[in-house]
Amino acid sequence: MIVKKLIEKIEGEAELEFSFKSGKIDDVDIKFDLYRGIEEILKGKAPRDALVITPRVCGICNHAHLIASVRALESGFRDAGFTFELSKKAKDIREFTLSCELVQNHIKWLYLTIFPQLNRVLKSDPDDNYALKASYIANTVTKAIAIFAGQWPHSSYAVPGGVTCDPTYIDIISAQNLIDEAIRFTQKVLIGMDLDEYLSIESLSQLKTLGGDFGKLLFTLEDNQLAKIGKSYDRFIVLGESAFFKSAKSIATTTSTIDQRFVKELEQTGTKAKAALYKNRFYEVGPMARAIINKEPIIMSLRKRYRDSLITRIYARVHEVAILLNYTKGLLQNLDITQESCTLKSKATPSDFSGVGTVEAARGSLIHRVKVKESIISKYEIITPTQWNLSNSVEEKRGVAANAMIGLESDELASFVFKSFDVCSVCTTH
Amino acid sequence: MKKLKLLWLQSLTCNGNSHSFFNHPDLFAILSKFELIYFPLIDTKYSLEDILHKQLECDILIIEGSIKKGLIKNGVDYSKLIENYAQEAKHIITAGTCATFGGVFKEYDPERISGFCFDKERVKENFNSYKDKLISLPGCPIHPKWLSYVLQMLGSGNTIPIDKLNRPQELYNITVHTGCSRNEYFEWKIDTKGFGHKEGCSFYEHGCQGPYSRGSCNKILWNDTSSKTIVGTPCFGCTEPTFPKERLFFTKTNMGIPATMPLEVSKRAYLTITGIAKSFTIKRLERNIIDYDS
Repeated sequence: MIVKKLIEKIEGEAELEFSFKSGKIDDVDIKFDLYRGIEEILKGKAPRDALVITPRVCGICNHAHLIASVRALESGFRDAGFTFELSKKAKDIREFTLSCELVQNHIKWLYLTIFPQLNRVLKSDPDDNYALKASYIANTVTKAIAIFAGQWPHSSYAVPGGVTCDPTYIDIISAQNLIDEAIRFTQKVLIGMDLDEYLSIESLSQLKTLGGDFGKLLFTLEDNQLAKIGKSYDRFIVLGESAFFKSAKSIATTTSTIDQRFVKELEQTGTKAKAALYKNRFYEVGPMARAIINKEPIIMSLRKRYRDSLITRIYARVHEVAILLNYTKGLLQNLDITQESCTLKSKATPSDFSGVGTVEAARGSLIHRVKVKESIISKYEIITPTQWNLSNSVEEKRGVAANAMIGLESDELASFVFKSFDVCSVCTTH
Repeated sequence: MKKLKLLWLQSLTCNGNSHSFFNHPDLFAILSKFELIYFPLIDTKYSLEDILHKQLECDILIIEGSIKKGLIKNGVDYSKLIENYAQEAKHIITAGTCATFGGVFKEYDPERISGFCFDKERVKENFNSYKDKLISLPGCPIHPKWLSYVLQMLGSGNTIPIDKLNRPQELYNITVHTGCSRNEYFEWKIDTKGFGHKEGCSFYEHGCQGPYSRGSCNKILWNDTSSKTIVGTPCFGCTEPTFPKERLFFTKTNMGIPATMPLEVSKRAYLTITGIAKSFTIKRLERNIIDYDS
């Protein structure tokens, strides 16, 4: 039996086509049909124009595209013989705004996607305050982004050599207040405990003390036998590097280094999205991958008990809200505003270069690759996180999310697992 | 008074306008004045399947994203779907530069992709059918408060004064330059020394299009906080039919003079003022605003 389902209220829409055999999902096709040709649009443009065009790939993770883009240009400039170092200030401001974008993203996913879908699965009444909560905290942290980036969405404040802003102490204090407010919300509403206390949780038995919406969610998943569904390959990869995230891959208990040259895109039939693979294998990217590579104690405990199931995946994403807020607070405390914001002359551009920029975006590793010939972009490639997680089957291998939905008994349940990956159709096809 | 029914449809888009509107600090107070038929980020009474396959009633249609002839999305021809709802709606708002003029995504297939009633600045055939109920809200993305202004004016039955491209005059009859914190540097023609300085103006060398781009970005701040030009990023003219132009971080100049003049300022007027301003040195404006060593 074939069941088609239009998945909405994600970023854009996706169509899932399930085939059921003896009441269980036996195969699933994931289709994305919105194609805008951003890589084509970039051809022929001046290199820096990518900083304005690529954020328009995505309304919710535009900032990650900006950072990937500026890193690609900077790597290309160096490749062409330019020598420059970013100031610590510029690096930290970029880390700050990027981390804030991840926070707003995860919070929107939790309240606008996961809770409503859980209500559908359990046929329970939704809480009218979900959207209100999402909007409150998302607005608080995007305001903090705007202090440095001018606006969110669609800023282009990161430029080769640094950032365009020159923040003052008033700016820093305003940003600190906003982060403190986001932490207050997290403590009161999301986790029901002090942030420090939360961050010290390492074992599953300590999770009983968790309150707030997050605690409620975890207990509901456990009570309704939903914790263990949604397992996939238990194979992870992180391609982006930051002061916080480490690049590596993890299979079973082994973590090893990676070489980005083995990342490949493959065309798929019936969808506008290409699949992304490493050495011809599918890997899961995103918060769960980052936490496992970072050996976050509580995620390691969850993985031990539940493997890469729904509960571990959901936990890792919400957990990142707490650790990133804590991280951003530290970034602001240590920011030396007397350093230079931008260390490269604004007109300096080599005429021929190729560069790669990788960043850990909300949904996982994002890669931009640029080639410039005679001062114009001759090729631009974007490989998004969702191409890793949400691929169909290629060469007999099933994509990560598709694999996680096999064996489930209803399309609502499968949609829940699908949404746990934080689906973004606009990024997947771009 | 009966609440107006509000329907938000997405064509070729990045969802940036939805997320920008979601940033509105008073979002729920505003939405409570309307009957929400569909909004892409929030659970609504109707599903997208309902929107696609039943012709639901709507009073205000908000269109996000560029229009592409024959665009099949979710199994439906979106150009037809949008026309169908547009015909029935009492008001149409094109939210963002894509829906208004075509925007970034137009560049992929310029022959087939455009805004809803405009193709860049050119008026499309359907403009005559919709001109009396159309409000253009260009901006990449839209500013949440520009949209709430329009929604609430319509909700209370007020008439919005518009220009010849159906843009609200209150929002677009000023330029992005209005209210920019760098205005003094513009007055005295002092260029910024590069990116990363709170001093100096980006109009002369760094590509700022603020003086000739319509919009109230520096009057109604972004995220209630700041704007591109305040933080030292040039204005890219994202509200304009011409968005995106080329070489966005560089000012095109002729003999050292910016090639595009501030809106409706003649070259003669500009050169006269510039000549006078440049003949003086204002020491205060040559110094850093804050001296951290003092």
